[in-house]
Amino acid sequence: MSKDVKNTKKKKIAAAVIIACIAAALIVGIVLTDPLYTSTEEISDVMQDAVLHEHNKVSLFGLDVNPALISAIAVTIGLLLFALIVRIFALPRFKHVPGKFQLFIETVVGLFDGLAKKNSPHRNGFLGAYVFAAGVYIAVGTTFELIGIPVETTAGTSVSLPAPLSDINAALALGFLSYFVILSGGIAGAGLRGVGRTLKDFSLPVSMSFRLFGALLSGLLVTELVYYYLASSFVLPVLVAVLFTLMHALIQTYVLVMLTTMFYGEVSEPPIKKEKKHKSAAKRGAAHKNITVSQEV
Amino acid sequence: MPLNIDWQQILLHLLNFLILAVGLYFILYKPVKKFMKKREDDYAAREEKTAEALKDAESSRAEYEEKLARAEEEIASLKKSAAAETEAVRAERLRDAETEAEGIVAAARGKAQEEKRKIIEGVGTEIRDIVGSMAEKVVASDKVKLSSGLNDAYEEFLSAAEKDVNDGK
Repeated sequence: MSKDVKNTKKKKIAAAVIIACIAAALIVGIVLTDPLYTSTEEISDVMQDAVLHEHNKVSLFGLDVNPALISAIAVTIGLLLFALIVRIFALPRFKHVPGKFQLFIETVVGLFDGLAKKNSPHRNGFLGAYVFAAGVYIAVGTTFELIGIPVETTAGTSVSLPAPLSDINAALALGFLSYFVILSGGIAGAGLRGVGRTLKDFSLPVSMSFRLFGALLSGLLVTELVYYYLASSFVLPVLVAVLFTLMHALIQTYVLVMLTTMFYGEVSEPPIKKEKKHKSAAKRGAAHKNITVSQEV
Repeated sequence: MPLNIDWQQILLHLLNFLILAVGLYFILYKPVKKFMKKREDDYAAREEKTAEALKDAESSRAEYEEKLARAEEEIASLKKSAAAETEAVRAERLRDAETEAEGIVAAARGKAQEEKRKIIEGVGTEIRDIVGSMAEKVVASDKVKLSSGLNDAYEEFLSAAEKDVNDGK
């Protein structure tokens, strides 16, 4: 009996919540359809500015910068604050048998460290730390655009902060930095041979940068497009957010981290001169054995 | 620059990422890795300790089994020696008993011989006495029955002797 009563109560509460949500959505729709909220910019201008950032600049200590740089700084501050909170409050309470939060932190650290160790078994201490920072930055930075923090441009208009890497400058910075990290691994692991191996893939920084930029820019453009038209601003953003933001965050993190670790592992592999010597010695030894065996026979 | 590429902003992004990477490394990555390494080492030490304890237990078990086998062997040898000792004691006692019995038998035989000799000697004296007394009786009856025949005298002697025997003389 008591179970039936509880179930009926739950059903009533659920129905009330659904009705309230529908009513709220209708009210929001009514408010948003007011001509006051329609954009004055043309869609072509919006999309062109999303790619080139020619008009919507934000002031940073007197410097006119792209909104993505503000996003990057915000992401950095957020991540460092989170890390500090974890370091001060959570880490001293870490146990041998981890709880959910500890497991999450350990999994993230272990994932990047494991990738570095797996793809670059010879030299991976610095690589693990680098791909951890880069991976977290890409993942958090890409999902950051979902928050949609508004900032005022120098022209007086309002823009929501995009993903940091949807700016070509940020993508180039990370792409080239990854390439230089690979180059440093090559020098540290194999000397001049490592430099040669790295320079052989001279197109790598450009391809990495533009892959990041293209992937994240596509998400930004689709989001801009969806939000430009009021009619498509309901329900559809949920799908867009999942497909073009969350998926991009995961995929691009994985791609950059994998490429960096794999190339780093490849170029930092120590020369195999000694093995050759061993092989020739082994061959000589085998030949000697054969001679002695034939003599014995 | 094409695509609105701005070197200043690239450098700013680089500086931003550098700060993030260094901060994350020292605040989160390194301490978490240190903790994980410490735990891994701890588990490895525990595993090593357990393996060592297991090895110790195995060696103790082997030692115990060896001791047990040795004790069993010792018990068996002790049993064997005890049985041999018992057998020796038994044989000695048997020998002693036999010797004693032989002595007893020999003494008994000697005694019996002595008794026999004594009896025989005693019987001889008695017979002599009897014969003497009978002779006396015969002589006495000869005096009385001179007229009777020798047979009568003999008959009388036998009767007298029988009577003596019956009387327990």
